[in-house]
Parts: sequence; C-alpha cells; structure tokens
Amino acid sequence: MGFFVGTDVGGTFTDLWVASDDGDVRVFKSPTTADVLGGVLDAVRLAADAYGLSFEAFCAGIARFGHGTTVGLNALLTGNAAPTVVLTTRGFGDTLEIGRLRRQTSGLNETEWTDAKLRNRIPPLVPRRRIVEIDERIDANGKVIAPLDEVQTREALRALRGQGIEAIAVCTLWATVNPVHERRLRELIEAELPGTFVSLSHEISPGVGEYARMSTTAANAALGPLAGRYLTSLESRLRQAGMRVPVLMMTCAGGVLPTTILNDRPAYALFSGPAGGVMGSRATGAQIGIDNILTMDVGGTSFDVGVIVSGKPIMRSEISVAGADIRVLSIDVESIGAGGGSIASVEFGELRVGPRSAGANPGPACYGRGGTAPTSTDADLVLGVLDPDNFIGGRMRLDLAAAQRAIADKIATPLGMSVMEAAWGIRQILDSKMADLLRRMTIERGYDPREFMLLANGGAGPSHAWVLAEELGLDGFIVPAAATAQSAYGTGNSDIGFTAERPAYVRVSPKAQPTPEQLARVADALAAAVKEVRDNLVLASPQAPPAIVRSVAVRFRGQTHHLDVTVEGEAFDLATFADVTRRFETQYETLFGRGAAFSSAGYELLSVRAMGTAALTPPTVATKGTPLVPHSSRQVVFRDPKQARDTAIYRTTFPQAGATAEGPAIIEFPGQSVVVPPGAKAVADTFGNLHVTLGRKP
Amino acid sequence: MSEHLMNPIVFEVIRNRLVAITEEMRIALQSVSGSPTVTEASDFFTGLFTTDGAVASMGFQVAYHAPVSGAFIRHIKGKPGLTVADGDMFIGNDPYIAALHQNDVQMVAPIFAGDRIVAWAGVEAHETDVGGMDFASWSPKAREIWQEGMRIPCVKLIDRGEMRDDVLDMITTASRLPALLGLDIRAFIATLNVARDRVSELVRRYGADVVTEAMAMVIASTEARMRARLKELPDGQFHAADFLEHDGHTNVLYTLDCRITKRGDTLTLDYGGSSKQSPGFINCTRPGLIGAVCGSVLPTLAWDMPWNQGALTPFEVVAPDGLICTAKFPAPVGSATVETVWVTANATMLALNKLLAASPYRDRAQGLNAGAMATFNMGGINQFGEPFGLHLMDPLAAGAAAWPDKDGVEAGGPITSPVSCIADVEKNEQVVPLFYFHRRLARDTGGAGKYRGGLSAEVSLTLGGIAQAQALIMTHGVEVPNSHGLAGGFPGATIRQTWGKGATSGGRLADGEWQVFPPKPGLMLMTDRDVFAVSWQGGGGYGDPLEREPEAVADDVAAGAVSPEAAETVYGVICGDGLDEAATQARRTALRRERIGDGAQAPERMFQGAPAMWLSDTLFLGQDRRGWHVVSKAGYILCTGSTRWRAGAVAKTSTALPAEYMVRLHDDLAATTYYCPASGTLLSVDVHRRDEKPDDDVVLDLNGLGGSAH
Repeated sequence: MGFFVGTDVGGTFTDLWVASDDGDVRVFKSPTTADVLGGVLDAVRLAADAYGLSFEAFCAGIARFGHGTTVGLNALLTGNAAPTVVLTTRGFGDTLEIGRLRRQTSGLNETEWTDAKLRNRIPPLVPRRRIVEIDERIDANGKVIAPLDEVQTREALRALRGQGIEAIAVCTLWATVNPVHERRLRELIEAELPGTFVSLSHEISPGVGEYARMSTTAANAALGPLAGRYLTSLESRLRQAGMRVPVLMMTCAGGVLPTTILNDRPAYALFSGPAGGVMGSRATGAQIGIDNILTMDVGGTSFDVGVIVSGKPIMRSEISVAGADIRVLSIDVESIGAGGGSIASVEFGELRVGPRSAGANPGPACYGRGGTAPTSTDADLVLGVLDPDNFIGGRMRLDLAAAQRAIADKIATPLGMSVMEAAWGIRQILDSKMADLLRRMTIERGYDPREFMLLANGGAGPSHAWVLAEELGLDGFIVPAAATAQSAYGTGNSDIGFTAERPAYVRVSPKAQPTPEQLARVADALAAAVKEVRDNLVLASPQAPPAIVRSVAVRFRGQTHHLDVTVEGEAFDLATFADVTRRFETQYETLFGRGAAFSSAGYELLSVRAMGTAALTPPTVATKGTPLVPHSSRQVVFRDPKQARDTAIYRTTFPQAGATAEGPAIIEFPGQSVVVPPGAKAVADTFGNLHVTLGRKP
Repeated sequence: MSEHLMNPIVFEVIRNRLVAITEEMRIALQSVSGSPTVTEASDFFTGLFTTDGAVASMGFQVAYHAPVSGAFIRHIKGKPGLTVADGDMFIGNDPYIAALHQNDVQMVAPIFAGDRIVAWAGVEAHETDVGGMDFASWSPKAREIWQEGMRIPCVKLIDRGEMRDDVLDMITTASRLPALLGLDIRAFIATLNVARDRVSELVRRYGADVVTEAMAMVIASTEARMRARLKELPDGQFHAADFLEHDGHTNVLYTLDCRITKRGDTLTLDYGGSSKQSPGFINCTRPGLIGAVCGSVLPTLAWDMPWNQGALTPFEVVAPDGLICTAKFPAPVGSATVETVWVTANATMLALNKLLAASPYRDRAQGLNAGAMATFNMGGINQFGEPFGLHLMDPLAAGAAAWPDKDGVEAGGPITSPVSCIADVEKNEQVVPLFYFHRRLARDTGGAGKYRGGLSAEVSLTLGGIAQAQALIMTHGVEVPNSHGLAGGFPGATIRQTWGKGATSGGRLADGEWQVFPPKPGLMLMTDRDVFAVSWQGGGGYGDPLEREPEAVADDVAAGAVSPEAAETVYGVICGDGLDEAATQARRTALRRERIGDGAQAPERMFQGAPAMWLSDTLFLGQDRRGWHVVSKAGYILCTGSTRWRAGAVAKTSTALPAEYMVRLHDDLAATTYYCPASGTLLSVDVHRRDEKPDDDVVLDLNGLGGSAH
C-alpha cells in the first residue's frame, strides 16, 4: 500500500495527515517533543499502528512525505540558534542593532505601540560583539571602490577560532549588484574556519536594502547548522526504516523542496506552518473547483488569514520574525491577537476583548487551571457552542460554572447585563475584529470578498465562520475535511516550488523609454533567475517539466511601494516594457482606484523574480465517512442572547458524501465544532469537506 | 435604516472599526505616496474627527499633528461664505491658520450621511519642497513668512467630487518637485476616499446617530482615563526649561519654559517664561505649540489609552502671543517642527516626567529621547539627470532616554512618533546622489547614568554619482544638550557636525581640511570631494553614573558603547583587560570625595523614619514631628516643610563638562550638579542659563498630601 503523508510540527501537537492508495484519509496528532524529531516519529508510528503495519512497513510504503516545522522559528525566538558571526562592510556593523529604527517596535500589537517602555523587547539577531567589519566597499553601480582587504579579513577570521562559532553570515553593501567580495569572503572563511556554515546575502536574499538582507542572511546562517542536523536526521531515520522518497519541506512561499536544496536555505522554511495552512486550503479548493479562497484559522491566541486569487496565494516579500525583517518570499498570512484564549475585560465601563490572551496556561477560566479571566472560549461554552463534555473529542472536560462565574464577575455585573448577553457581546466584539482583518485583506486590496469562498480552519474557526461569512456578505463557508490539521494536509498536497530573485534597477523618466542597456539589464537578470530556478528544480527530480512565472517589480518613480507584474515570454524588449507598465497601471488602479495612476511620474523597475513550480501527482481521495445523525440537542445562542435555540448536535470524524445537517445545528468533530446557524444547511462532499450554505438572515 | 442602539458592545465594535479605518488610511497613504519622508520615515498623520474637529481616532505617526487638522476643520466650518458639500476636499498648509510649518501639507474631507456631516477625515504629510527662496522650503535667512514656502490658506481642491485641476496646477507649480507633490496629493485623495468609504459603510450599518455618538464616547472614554490618571499624580508645581540656539541669523540662545500646575484631574501648562519670538525661521505659531503639547502628553501620560482628543481635554495651555512658540504674523516659521515645536515638546515632556517621578508611576519617569533632529537637505540635479530634493531622515536615529530600571534604546529615536523609521543606506544610495562612509552607533553619546541613555547613530557621507549639489545644514542642539537626564542622569551628547573639504577622492577617504560646524552653517555648495560627518544626540541618562553596575560599564566598554576614558572619568570604572574591581572602588571613592570632600557630619540632619513617598530614585519624602522633609537615599535631610531641596544639597556649577561627556555648552549656558552632602550621590544635573540659578523644579502641595503618600 502507498501512503501520501503530510506532517506539521506545531507548538503543542505534531499533526500527520495521510491518504492511502485506496483514498482513505486519516489525521493523527501526537504531542510535540522537545527534540521535535521524536514527535514526528511518534506521529508516524501512530499512523502505522492504525493501518496495522510496522513502522518499517509503513515507511516503505510512503509515496510522498511532506513536512513543516517551526523548529527554526522557535530557535530564533528563544535565542537557541547556532552561535553566528556577521561579516559586513566597514562602517555598517551596527545595521542589525539600528534596525532602521523598526526593530525596536517590531512585534508590538496595536495597544502596545503607544508605550515607549515596551520597545526593544527583542535583542538584535546577532549581538554587536559578534559583528566583524571588513575593509571593502562596492558602490550602487557595482564598482569596487575599496578592494577587499584579505589580510585584515584573514586576521579577523583567525581571531574567531576557538570561540565556538558555528555559522557566518556575509552581508556586504551592494553585493547584490556585484557579489565578488562576498564570494571571496566565502573562500577565505572556508580556508580559515573550515566546517563553518556560511550564508552569502546575495544568494539568500538578493534584494537591495541592507537591513532586511543582513537579518535574513543572519537568520539563515544561525539556523543552518540546526536545521541541517534536524532535517538530515529526520530523513535518515525514515530512510533507514525503508522510506524511499525524500523529505519535502514546506517553504514560506508555499512550494515544497527536498532537504538537499533547503539545507543551505533554512530561512526559506521559517514560516512553514502558516504557508502549509494556506496551501492546504488551496488543495481543498482544487479538489472542488474553487480558486478564489479566503482561508482563516482561529487558534488559541491568534486569527490568521490568507487570500488565494485564481489559485495563487497572495504573497509578500518580507516577514517580521523575532523582531527582525526577514526578506523571503512568503505567502501573506496576516494575523491579529484574536483567538479562543482572548481575554475579555471591563475598563472604565467599556468591554474590551483581546489582544491579551490567556494562552494555554492558565488558559480560559473553563479549563480549570486557575485562570479567572473570561475568554472567548468561556463565552462559547456559556452560549452553548461548546459541549463541556466533548471538548477536543472528550479529552478535556470544561467547567461551565467557572466560565459563567468569570463572565458574571468580570463582565456582566460591571456592565449590568445578563451573563448570556455578556457572552454574546464578547463573541460579537471578537468576531467584528476578525471581520475587520478579512476586510483589510480583501476590500483594501481591491478584491470583493463576495467573489471568494471562506475556508474555516483551526479549532475555533468553524464555530466563528458563520458570523464572519454574514459580516462579509458571503453565501456560506466550507470546513475542509482536514480543518484541524490543515498545515499537515498542505505539506502533503503541495507542488515543488522554487523562487529566485535578482535586482535590476532601471529608472525611466516621464515620457522616456528605457535604453537598450537598461533593457538588457532586466533581461539578463530574468535569465539568471530562471536559470537558478531550473537548476534547483532539476535537483528536486520533478515528475513534470517545471512551469516558470517571471515577474518584475515596478513602481512609479519616487514611490517606495511596488507591485509585481508578470512578464510574458522570454525576452525583455521595448514591447515587453510597454506591456509591463500598462499592466502595472491596471493593477495599480485596481488597488487605489480609477484615476490613481500617475504615469507622468515615470517608472522604476527594481528587481525580477522567477517562480518555478513542478507538479507532483496528487493523492486520490475517496470518502468512506459516516452519515450525519443527530446525537443529542442543547440550547445554543445564535443572534439573540435572550433566546437560546434548541439545536441538534451531530458527532462525526468524517462525514459521508451527501450527509446533511439543517441549522440550527452543531457538528462536533474531535477538535472542532462546526456551527450551522438557523436557516443554514451543511452538506458534505465526496472528499469529506462540509459546505455550509447560509439561509436568508431571519 | 438602523436597527442598532448604542450599548457597550456596539460601542466597542465601532471603536475597533474606527481604529481599523485609521490603519487603512495609513496603508493607502504609504502605498501611493512618493515621499521617502512618508513611505520610509512615517512623517505623516491620518485621523478621523468629529464634526467640531476633535480627533476621535489617529494613527501612531507624528502625534504633533493631531490637533492641527482639527483646527483646520474648525477654520473651514467658521469661514463665512464657504459652503461644504458632499464630495468636497480641502487643502491647506498655512501655519497662521492650521499647520506646524508650510511643508506639512494637509487635506481634510467631510463625511456626509444624507445632507448632514457626520465626521471629518484628515491627512497630512511632510512635503520635501513647497517653494520659497531655498529648496526644501527651509530658509535660514528668511525674516518674514513670504520668503518661505507657499501658503495655502484653505482651498477647496475637490469640489463635489471634481478635481479642480487648475488649482492643483497652481499648487504643484510652486514646488521645485511638482511630480512628487502631485503624487502625494493623489495619495491624500486616496486616503480620504478610503476614510469616506469605510465610515459611510459604518453609518449605513449602525446609523449616523450611533456612529457620531460612538465617536463622542471614544473621546469621553479617553478623557475619563486621563482624568483618572491625573488624580493619581501628586498636586503641585513642576518646571522645566529647554533651550534652542541660533535663529538662522545669529547664535542667540532661546528658552522654552514650561511651568506645570497640577491640581486634581486638571493640569495647566504655562509657557509664559519662554523667549520672545525670533527674527528667524525657528519660530512656531500657536498651532505648533498646541501640537507640541499633544505630542508630549500622549506618549508621556497616555501610554495605555487610545489616543484621541480626550487625552488633551484636561489640559489647559497658557501662553501670551508673541513668544517664540506663539509667534505673531508675519514671523517666519519654516523649520518650526525641528526647532521650536521640538524644543517646546522637550520642555513639556521633561516637566511631565518630573511629575511622573514623584508619582506611583515613577518607574516610567525618564529624561528626554532624541532631543533634537538635525537637518541635512540637498538639492540639485541627481545622478539620473533629474532635479531632486532630499530631506535626510537618518537624524531620527538619535538615542532614547534611560528608564529607572533599564538603559535607553540605542538609536531609539523620538517617542512623539512611535513608528518612525529610516531608509536603508542602499535604498538611499540607489535613488539619491549620496555615498556613505559609515552609518553606525556613536560611542560615548548616551547620557551617563545608573542607567545609560541610548547611543545616537552617526553618519559620514559624500556625493555619489554627481559632482556637486546644494546642501542645507542646520540644527539646534550642537551647544545645547537637549536630551536631558533625570534623577542625576546626565544629558546625552550634543550634536557634532563636521565638514571635510577635499576629504574624499573616488569614494575613498583622503586627507582633507576638517572643520567643526556651528549649529546652522546653512546653505553651501557640496562637491564629491567633500565629506559631511555628523553624530546626533544620545538619550538622557537616569540616576548617578557612579551607581551604575561596574559590570554593565565593562560590558559597554567591550561592546564599544563607552570608551575606557569615559568609563573612568564619568563612571569611575577602570577597565583594562576587563573590569578591575579594586581600582574601580578606589576611583569611585575618590570621585565622591571630589564631590563633597569628607562628607557632612550632622546627626540632627539624619532622618530616622521610613520613606513616605519617593521623589526619584535618590530622594524621598519623610515625615516626623518636625514635619515633611526631603531626604536623600542616604538619609540626609535636605530641606524641611517644602520640597525645595536644592538649597540643602552640595551644588557645583560649571560652564563646561569634561570632554568624555561629549556635551558642548553654549556661551550662555551652565550646568549645575547637586550632590547629597552625606553620601556624595548625584541628585540632579540641571542645565540652565549662566545668569540664572536652577529652579526648584518640583514643588509639591504638601498640605494636600495627607494620607495620599505612597
């Protein structure tokens, strides 16, 4: 038997999604272990047991092994990455510390911005004493102004011997335009400090702007030894057991890559969890023929949103990690502090919810772990949305009285309202914050949310989705079959993907045309990026020829924000330029309104990008679920806190194709509750996805 | 239309929505704008206002600007014969109506529900050039406002949704950078459109009455929080002054004087002791003063409240016309924001921090962050053959002040604009004709103290890709240490601007002719052989430097933040190859002896009881049968019956500090240090006019103290 496996290591659980040849799909969860590897192997063993196979027999049957992990992220956040030195141009050694002044406020939430005392909570990625300034300088045109001082460099490198340095990040000014010094520095490091993990900025993050490039390179270097060791041991354990395929790592950009390619570029996988979630939603959409998707995930502390337009996730070129700007192409997943643990409080007679969270410990009041602050989960319990006896599949009993007490004491009494009204109020405030984020991700970017399908993931996503769908004017939402393990599902269902970038600065004055030299600069950069993509995709031994999308970053002259515009064809001539600027203006006006384009400002082209994907055979999935039959009923508040509705309760792990539940109903899965409001209807498809269609608002 | 009535839930939903809309306005502005001051440095403002011009929700950019747009809205409403219709947008930048200075161009738009205005939206940004006798519109030689950038009083740029192209042409034509200004005006329009669309949606959903009521409640809510905060602070008088040198014409010293009277839940700020208005471009008009108050109060006292008009309501501002901060027409005000507005905010924040230091919030009391923002402007033809104007934002990277329990942030920048940011060196070199030799942290610039102020950054640069350009170099804070310390902490370093003529060739440094610049050398020709090098002010320190942990000083020396010389002179710490503890102890004892000799032996002055209330890290109030005393940490009674303790301390006045402090004092300035006569602990470092004595800056109302001591 063959198995398609997707795994994702989260903070608490390691999820494993598996589809066998016969279309049977299962999800396993095993506690994440301190060494991470153990948790992954535990999850694989759980799966093997469930199929009645030995660990070895299961491994031998693995046809694809997708993997995502926050190992790197956690190492950076906890300062446990490898001891790293940064080499940079003389005079610019404080780049990370100064951090463009952004570093000090990075990671503050909207209620913390105003408090200057909270600044600088996170130290720079690499401290000042581990920065080495090198005598060299290249200018913006790539001209060597001061040659690399090899004597000084060798001395500085020798001084590092015996200090336990495992990695060196090299980031010199303008290496993106002329990498000659960075390359030579690598040779010198290899000669003087053999065995050190080296990252060069022009290879890892070839963009103009030294702060983000240095942060990215430093993060990459600091993770290199760690990620390499981890991935190598994971792969060798599985291979020893009989697995014949490589481990495919989820990258921030949503494609998977074999460990051989990723070992040098661990920064590319820093945010694999959120990327995996969006890619899971994309795969779900592909199953059922939907390619405009809003993905949402509600966890304990945060609400995450991603947007997929015409099958392509919206991307961003920079993310903020551990207080630093990390420039790796990433699926744009926006997050706010709104989740099950969000704390409600009354201050000065006003009800506030979040962004403070009770987290998992002590957690919501109803967890009975000593938490007394009312949370969103407590509100859901009081409203009847959650069953105190069937939380996470009955593995945890919730204390309804504690939830009621917390809401009564802290909210209802001070505001002079009933406990039900207060609980409903907590939900409304939290849901409206979530809706604000969904609006920001769509309307503000020129998209009409009504042209999208909402996919609800995460433990609490499916219970909030109906309100959000109503808020945005959608007809309904879908709860994917793997909603509680969407990131794992995504890692097992993504194509191979590699992206390369090159700077190519071209400035075109109003009414002027680019010169042949300028056009050639763009064409050369495109060709180089395409070649890098091809070379790497070949290494990943794809099953199909790669598809490569070329794009160029364009802005009106003088602006800071750019748009990525795709380039058709291999060439870059005057006609291509005209086509690119025309489509840039169209995209621009979609975003900022008709008439907003200002072509008399002239244009700047900044960089080019080639995104390559190579398709992998998707697993076939055929449902073997069970029909939906009412299990019980209880009183649940939907819109009117004064009038709870008698609501049918269903329990299932995998609903059968065509299984239907009419609202008001709650469909309880282990780990999530799908709320079907009055007038709405839930129908399962052949893949086990639940389609909830909202009725007219009563 | 609406099924909703106001309740706590609807209120909170709308409040969050207003915050979200302000954030959407920011994104729209930053995405479309072409000004690096907007897109990189966040020198702009966005906000939603009530119909009477009270700000209900604002972004976290330049807080100075919040009251200015409100004043503009009130001006429009009060203007005879001006009708306001749905779809109108107004533009203005006149400091004598509503602007900090002419570069701050703003637009506001009414938001209608039917035929009624329910709210206003406002947006402002610093425009690099709005005309005038010198590029970038800052003219050190100006003596009247007509010589500076154009003034747009209050002009309807969009009339019922139709752009008045002729008016737009007139405005952009006045600028040396018409395309840039044109792009930014488009960004303003996009920003106001976003605000109008989103607020209109809110009105459709909840009804105009509920939305306007919610906006009023948002403001009332913050007012209630601010009044509650003021009640927690002790009643009394608090005083601080800061200084500003050189008005563009002569190196005269100006005083910005802030006297606070705090009583119950109100606070009066009196600037009457400030200098008269100046003949040069450093003045600000009354909108600038009110902006400075707003920018000071919000980060200092409203750190945990939503920022809006309510935070300002309990404050009364007293200042006659004709002061440097209430300049009368037609005084020039071109550089108001970085001169008088900035220094007014310094004096105000310092006084407010003295109030905090004597309150239950004394863990939040600090000296001053980034007490000056130096200017380096350039204009000419850039490396692409285009006319250009540059307003370098790097000087934001000055040091932040220390706290009573931690050091200040290196290159932390001002706290009056919480999200300021500087561009990458590469991004600058790519689009403007600059070439940097370094951008790094400057050693010894952090204000000395038990907790050290943050270091300032420093840069050194020449031209890149062009042979010559016009440069405008000006600042205050070269001879005034504006980044004052607190509780015995020293001010951060003063700004040091140097110029190396012929000091570079082909991008390599060469032997040149170096000179140290005065505060405002003004306009000059710069060539690709010249080097400009500048370090800015470090943050103010907190507490006596001799009480800094020797290990922390040794770490600073190892990291290059403090020189071994400064460690010895300023901190009394001896570092050779690491910390020498015995030598350090001996050195510190010797330094204390230099301060007070053998120390006072006066048993009757030693306080026996427990502290009733702390005034800072080193001073507390104690009460016994003789009454209230101000007592040093060592138990020495400095004064009795009032909090005017300075007379009881050992005072030393000097007109220059040792070089290691990197502080230069203007000819009219002196610094007085006060020590505990018993222990030699440094209690305060006061910078003041040479011909004046430092004031007793914290005069608590001891009668009102009663049981409220803590």
